[in-house]
Amino acid sequence: MVGEVTWMGKKILLAPLDPVHDIGLKMINRALIERGHETVLLQPDLSPEEIVREIASSGCEFVLVGRTLGYGVAEILARVADLADAAGVRRKVKMIVGGMAIRPEIAAEMGYDAGFGPGTPVEEVVAYVEGRPYSDQALTVKRTKPDLIGAHTYRFENARIEGLLGRISGEVVSWCGGMTSPGVERARIRRRMFEASRSGDESGVAALIESYVRLCDPAVGASYDGRSVAKTRQITVAEKAALAAHIEEVGPRKKPRPVRHGKDRPVVFIQYGTGCPIMDVAHIEVAESWGADGVVHFDPSWAARKEGMFHGELAHEEDGSLITAGNLDLIRSGVMDSTLWQVRAHRGLNTAETVVLAGECGASLTKINMAYGSLGAGTDPERLVVDGVEAIKQAVSYGLPFDVVTNEELCGVPAQKAFASMLIVASMAIRLGGKPILQPLFCYSPQVMIEGQMKDNYVDFNAAKIMALRSIMDAPIWPGAPIGFLTHTEDRVQASMTTALHSCLASSLGVDAISISSADEAYSGGPISAAARVDTLRAVREGFRFFGEASIQPTRKAEAWAVELAEGITGVLEQVERRGSFVGALYDGILGTREDGAYPGRSGRGTVRKANN
Amino acid sequence: MRATDRVLDAIDVETFVACSTEQEAKRIVLELVAGMGLGGADVVFIEMAGPGARVRARAYVHRAGDRYGWLGR
Repeated sequence: MVGEVTWMGKKILLAPLDPVHDIGLKMINRALIERGHETVLLQPDLSPEEIVREIASSGCEFVLVGRTLGYGVAEILARVADLADAAGVRRKVKMIVGGMAIRPEIAAEMGYDAGFGPGTPVEEVVAYVEGRPYSDQALTVKRTKPDLIGAHTYRFENARIEGLLGRISGEVVSWCGGMTSPGVERARIRRRMFEASRSGDESGVAALIESYVRLCDPAVGASYDGRSVAKTRQITVAEKAALAAHIEEVGPRKKPRPVRHGKDRPVVFIQYGTGCPIMDVAHIEVAESWGADGVVHFDPSWAARKEGMFHGELAHEEDGSLITAGNLDLIRSGVMDSTLWQVRAHRGLNTAETVVLAGECGASLTKINMAYGSLGAGTDPERLVVDGVEAIKQAVSYGLPFDVVTNEELCGVPAQKAFASMLIVASMAIRLGGKPILQPLFCYSPQVMIEGQMKDNYVDFNAAKIMALRSIMDAPIWPGAPIGFLTHTEDRVQASMTTALHSCLASSLGVDAISISSADEAYSGGPISAAARVDTLRAVREGFRFFGEASIQPTRKAEAWAVELAEGITGVLEQVERRGSFVGALYDGILGTREDGAYPGRSGRGTVRKANN
Repeated sequence: MRATDRVLDAIDVETFVACSTEQEAKRIVLELVAGMGLGGADVVFIEMAGPGARVRARAYVHRAGDRYGWLGR
């Protein structure tokens, strides 16, 4: 029949050369039978002489010899091949060898037609027998970009908290409506720059740059005149061309193998920010190839404290890759269409503008949280709230969902206060039409170190956080960042293991996404290596494979802590409402005191002014 | 092109050193890495117990912002 491929069934002898290990051959035998071949599977522990006698009498076309044990492998394989030769059967049959002890080069040396080592898919051996090329497509899946919001409704389950949040977020959004800042103005100018550039209005762009630079720190403004930026160097034209060629060459070879095992959640993010956009692309390629679904851009904290965003394609000497339009364009060119790409805008003086760059450069997500940025990252609360509300509005207009991170927990702020802040920001976002994602930390935080919630295990308190949030509202949840923070050591096995276990806990709890670290998380002596990314992704994949649909069961303490947490959040929100001002609550310590480890930042203080509406 | 040009960023050397102190293990592994022609190595992880130390040392071949040997090969 035209277009139909047929083959004559082969006669195949399968001979285990080990005393007991013949599982691999049994699997291959089953696959061959299913494909219509005639097979004879010999019992284990036959001598080479007995095997060769079976080959001679069976009239087979193929012999598949299996060998798992490593000792004496060369001698015994050579013995089988020599005896087959002496018996005159070698030229009549194709001899294949496979198993844990086999390497293709050993097989060739011993005179076998083919050798298949550890990890060879059964299908590859079957394809060889049938004389057709093997494609590993079955191991990869066609990826589509995950939708983190999914079917979440943002409906509240806790009416008391819903009421409090409604009133608090209403106050903030209304107050911010009459205020502006250099960050807000730059974001709007930046947006107009993109629009002018798209319409080919070069003089318009030049005029906008002039206005923009007037609102920048002098060191930032200088980069628009082509002057060099400290600790950075400009990526050259030749390097950009080489990167483009590299991306084109590597692209077809990226065939991501899913990390998850039969589930579509949690979506797995890694964090990058090597300092150089070219190295970032290389790390993203590694992460994608080993199955990461998303990548999060890390920028240096010092840049977030400067007014304005640098210009150009810049490689930075230290950790963290500068957010510039040029850098984001370079990085975007190396990110797969199916990969979620997050550009964070959560903590500094360029929050709103970062969202504009993220939206214009094709990011899938951003990150906004005024409470963390002002209590744990050095930005003045009033300034960051005004800029943050503008950032939310920009995110809404670009259709960018964003997570609301609670990293102030790492400073020592108790979870109920950090969560109250997170819910206030999420409520503002919902009010403005945004799509917030809740980001509780799965971490060994100062709070639990002091209060002892993780003295026995890392499961219950993390589970309690998720249960508490679910008792409050139906929103996407993305634990981070990274999960297992402060449980990692410099040992790559331990670091990968703790990440894998936290990933499995997240999977058991049915969250939407996770951010994972690399095995280098706790190493402070140098940048994260690509190998460390692979180690962790492999560990997470193994964890997901281990649990499948099974799950980790928290103890009853988790439920009790979830109730406590929800009550604690309610109490904090009541205090914020009584204060009558979210900004005031941030300054006054209601959402984290100095004793907790929260310090209202000073960067950008005094720069907010009334808008001329 | 040298083989190290193709190393994306770092080379890790992992082993178990027979020794009596962590300091000794550190000295030996750094000497070992230097002997391989890799400069500026650092010990990423070390754990001493009983007969010796489990150790991992690292030398960076390409750091962010370098001219990468693997780019444009």
